[in-house]
Amino acid sequence: MGCAQTLLAGLLCLLSAGVFAQAQTPVGIADQRARSVTETVLGILSYARWPVEPAQLRLCVVGPTEYTDDLLKGTTQATGRPVTVQRLLADNPAITTDCDALYIGKLTDTERNRLFTSLTGRPVLSISESDDQCTVGSLFCLRVSDEQVSFEVNLDSVARSGVRIHPSVLQLSRRKTAAP
Amino acid sequence: MKISKPGNRPTLRSVIGRGHLTVALVGVIMASVSLTLLGILALRVYADHNLHLIARSIDYTVQAAVVFNDKAAANEALALIASTEEVADAQVLNAKGQLLARWQRPETGLFSELEMQLAKLFLAEPISMPILHQDRQIGSILLTGHGGSLMRFLLSGLVGIVLCTAISAWVALYLARRQLRGITGPLRSLAAVAHAARSERAFDRRVPAAAIAELDNLGNDFNALLDELESWQTHLQNENQTLAHQASHDSLTGLPNRAFFEGRLMRALRNANKQNERVAVLFLDSDRFKEINDSFGHAAGDAVLVSVANRVRAQLREEDLVARLGGDEFAVLLTPLHKTEDAERIADKIIASMQDPIELPGANEVLTSLSIGIAVYPDHGATPGTLLDAADSAMYQAKRLARGAQHTAGSEHPVADV
Repeated sequence: MGCAQTLLAGLLCLLSAGVFAQAQTPVGIADQRARSVTETVLGILSYARWPVEPAQLRLCVVGPTEYTDDLLKGTTQATGRPVTVQRLLADNPAITTDCDALYIGKLTDTERNRLFTSLTGRPVLSISESDDQCTVGSLFCLRVSDEQVSFEVNLDSVARSGVRIHPSVLQLSRRKTAAP
Repeated sequence: MKISKPGNRPTLRSVIGRGHLTVALVGVIMASVSLTLLGILALRVYADHNLHLIARSIDYTVQAAVVFNDKAAANEALALIASTEEVADAQVLNAKGQLLARWQRPETGLFSELEMQLAKLFLAEPISMPILHQDRQIGSILLTGHGGSLMRFLLSGLVGIVLCTAISAWVALYLARRQLRGITGPLRSLAAVAHAARSERAFDRRVPAAAIAELDNLGNDFNALLDELESWQTHLQNENQTLAHQASHDSLTGLPNRAFFEGRLMRALRNANKQNERVAVLFLDSDRFKEINDSFGHAAGDAVLVSVANRVRAQLREEDLVARLGGDEFAVLLTPLHKTEDAERIADKIIASMQDPIELPGANEVLTSLSIGIAVYPDHGATPGTLLDAADSAMYQAKRLARGAQHTAGSEHPVADV
């Protein structure tokens, strides 16, 4: 009798947990997306090779972003290399010297052009959060949805940047471009 | 030792055939079973190795997809590899153990269930391989092998075993038949010769030489035995003939004895009765035999007997018979006889043949004479006994008349040969 009760209680508990998870939807989804974005960004970073490997990977967040709450806490790569994340303004000249990777939020075309012009010839891995075309500038363009965070790769930019990206990642992204 | 009933005894053919067949089948089965077992073991090792290789290549292909938690890409990459390999089920799990991608071989044909069972039975356990990225496990791959090639191996092995068994059984039976011919051929001729020797006394047949040494020896021994039997048989026959001759003939004169004469007489009478013929019996007695015996000795008596026998023999036709009945008594059988006068004429010739002196050992000579009594069938008797008696008394009649005379039984006036 006691056993059955415990079982029932456990079942109820599970159900309520599910209900609870569904109840907190608006906040939950934002968190989840942020975590997924962090994972994807770390994944991309793990497949990237710089001409001179930095001892500490410096990731700069530029412009207004939606999903960087989690990212900004800073983290460590699986290899043990720390990843430091800092927010910088788009016109900050330190971007060209203090960042190995850039996470770019919403920027005006002018800001974007200026930014990329200043980055020309520097080994900086740039990821755009919302660049629908992904034709100019960024190496990676994120496509954030509820199910997963996917991305596209701008091969021209990759070739120009000097940062080497593992082929399997390129393959993964190309497939996505082809998909509707 | 157990002795089975004759009806239950196996033939040489079945014994040899069964022997060959057993050896062939045991050989084939042992070879094929051990080869199959070794094959399965080797195949198992290779299948395991192959599964690891497949897992590694899946690992390489899906790694990025796992890192980015991309189910579609993982599924696509998984299917690309697994569909062309010997994989029944492939799963990619992420770090939390959740299923990211899965590929299962579609059930095709009758054999997929059987293949799965075979794989479960003989192949190694499903393997699990971690997916590493930057030295950290980001997921794992679960692979279950597929028994396709194993089943092909087993099926072709089975076909091979059946074929080999059939071929070796055929070869075994063929060899057995050939060997049997080598054995039964000589045995059959041996049996034929033995049967002929037993039933027909054909001791002159011989067993031909055989290809197999033991059978050849047996045949040679048998032939030697037949040689001995043949010579023994010939010897026995000669002995028998000698004995038969001795039993029916007088050793001194070489003439038939009384028993032989009576036998011939009986036959002659039966014949004469049937053909309505006449038969004459002459009873001969030497007149001076006792005297010669007493004065010249037994050797002289024997010489007289031999001489008398030869002279009487010389007076007769081929069909006639002279026998020594005992002592100095002789008998002559004349058959066929046309007239009684013929018998009397022959008696005269015999008496006349005694006129020459007989040479005795020791340069002596002696004259002897014969008294002859004649009896004719059917006039003087119908049986050998009565005929002989009649001839005997006629002989005494003749003796009473004169020495060297003849008398025919029943005649009134005996003729004296003076």
